[in-house]
Amino acid sequence: MVLFDGSRILKGIEGFDLIKKGAESEIRLGTFLGEKAIYKVRLRKAYMHHYLDSELRYSRTKKEARIMMSIKEKGINAPLVYAVYPSIGLIVMEYIGAPSLKDLLSSNSEKVLGYFYEVGVLLSRLHSMGIVHGDFTTSNVLIKGGEIFLIDFGLSEFSSKIEDRAMDLHLFRRAILSTHPSAFERGFHVFLDAYASHAKEADEVIKRSQEIELRGRYVELRRRSKWNMHSL
Amino acid sequence: MIVMGIESTAHTFGVGIVDNGKVLADVRSRYIPKKGGILPREVAEYFSSVAGSSVREALASAGIGIKEVNAIGIALGPGMGPQLRIGASVARVISAKYGIPLVPVNHAVAHIEIGRYVTELKDPVVLYVSGGNTIITTYVEGRYRVFGETLDIALGNLLDTFARDVGIGPPYIIDGNHVVDVCAESGKYIKGFPYVVKGQDVSLSGLLTAAENYARNGKELSDICYTLREVSFSSVAEVTERCIAHTNKKELLLTGGVAANKVLNKKLEVLSSERGIDYRPVPFRYAGDNGVMIALTAWFEFQSGITIRPEDAYIEQRWRLDEVEIPWYYLMGQGS
Repeated sequence: MVLFDGSRILKGIEGFDLIKKGAESEIRLGTFLGEKAIYKVRLRKAYMHHYLDSELRYSRTKKEARIMMSIKEKGINAPLVYAVYPSIGLIVMEYIGAPSLKDLLSSNSEKVLGYFYEVGVLLSRLHSMGIVHGDFTTSNVLIKGGEIFLIDFGLSEFSSKIEDRAMDLHLFRRAILSTHPSAFERGFHVFLDAYASHAKEADEVIKRSQEIELRGRYVELRRRSKWNMHSL
Repeated sequence: MIVMGIESTAHTFGVGIVDNGKVLADVRSRYIPKKGGILPREVAEYFSSVAGSSVREALASAGIGIKEVNAIGIALGPGMGPQLRIGASVARVISAKYGIPLVPVNHAVAHIEIGRYVTELKDPVVLYVSGGNTIITTYVEGRYRVFGETLDIALGNLLDTFARDVGIGPPYIIDGNHVVDVCAESGKYIKGFPYVVKGQDVSLSGLLTAAENYARNGKELSDICYTLREVSFSSVAEVTERCIAHTNKKELLLTGGVAANKVLNKKLEVLSSERGIDYRPVPFRYAGDNGVMIALTAWFEFQSGITIRPEDAYIEQRWRLDEVEIPWYYLMGQGS
């Protein structure tokens, strides 16, 4: 008797619209019990050893669902989890249907800078629950009618370590710096101020995040400007 | 336009000469330690013994005199101080003596630019892997922005250090294959090695420690080599994939000394075909450190008006990739 047929489930959702192909998963928009729903499937990565691949997909899917349920309970906006199938890397969740901070930054930088404060407060709340996001970038922050939703908890951990919390700050800094450098000066500092004034042990976390940046190799330790730039 | 480039950041003293992008000379002298790692002072001594003859040899093989050189590119960093100083001194002296403009070149930028030039990829995500670097980068708003990198040791360093610790190297490369690859050939996967991806960064030092512990406890060496390689390459490929997904770019370039690795190439080929993007590694000849990449990059910089006075040409041991403005980025894309 077959109790669970993963391949049949995966086959069943192939007809849903593919709305995004992320780094590790496909996001499809379908329905679940009559509601619009997101089907997030972690795909097999053919470039990895099959054991490593299935181990990573299983553990990340399971952990992601657990963390989403946990923060939702505590009042942070995240998609509601409808169903989880770790062995096939599938999570069915609520459809938010809103642009990401990254989308908004690319289109209308000025107005969007105001959200950075809220994002800083939200991250401090997440951290105070003993959870770190693990992939805290502008792609994973959605803005819906002025409210902020967090998504993609695939690399999240239950952790209160200063190091892990500092990593979230570091990742967010890196994401802005690498994708929207022109928004960095104002945006990141607004975010950091908000985080600093709301988070527990904020000073330590911020200090550690600066240390993480210095761990990267060949960090610029001082500003230099000695090149002669002139047009020929 | 004829440009000479001098490379001396790590183990190779290289002099390259290009004429409007065409390679006229490519002279390299590589320091190979008899045992252990690179001792900067020993390498620097070796560099100073080969510097003069390398420049003369390059000019002779290009069939030109020094006065025909229009600009000299010098890799001022990042790299090891004693070696950088040798190359910088040579370049400064030639520049000052013959009145040839000096062009400062970032070694990491040069690895990317030669890859982009030779593969003809226009706007790729770049994975730059070498003994000292593991960087995932791509061009955004005027510079190569670092999307991810190793939080501790570099991929090449991981393989070399492990090989050294278990006594299968140096030499680390035999007939074009890394000794860890050779050792991994008949290996099987061991469960439970630490796989550490944090956002778009990787951490490899825990993996090295785990591998060393397994080796100390008498686990089959080929299995350890296989798993070490599998886990480290997979994590680097995964963060590369994250950068591709995040930026939505359609090309992937692999460059740097480890770019010649067949297993890493295979993984990136599979990754790219799954994502439907164009993957090209830098050709083997230009994977390792060389003077041609410095000359080529200097040529593009010089066309963009970038020079430096010899008296200002200090070395920059920690000169970061994302500090460098790349005004010639689209100029290269046009083909020359």
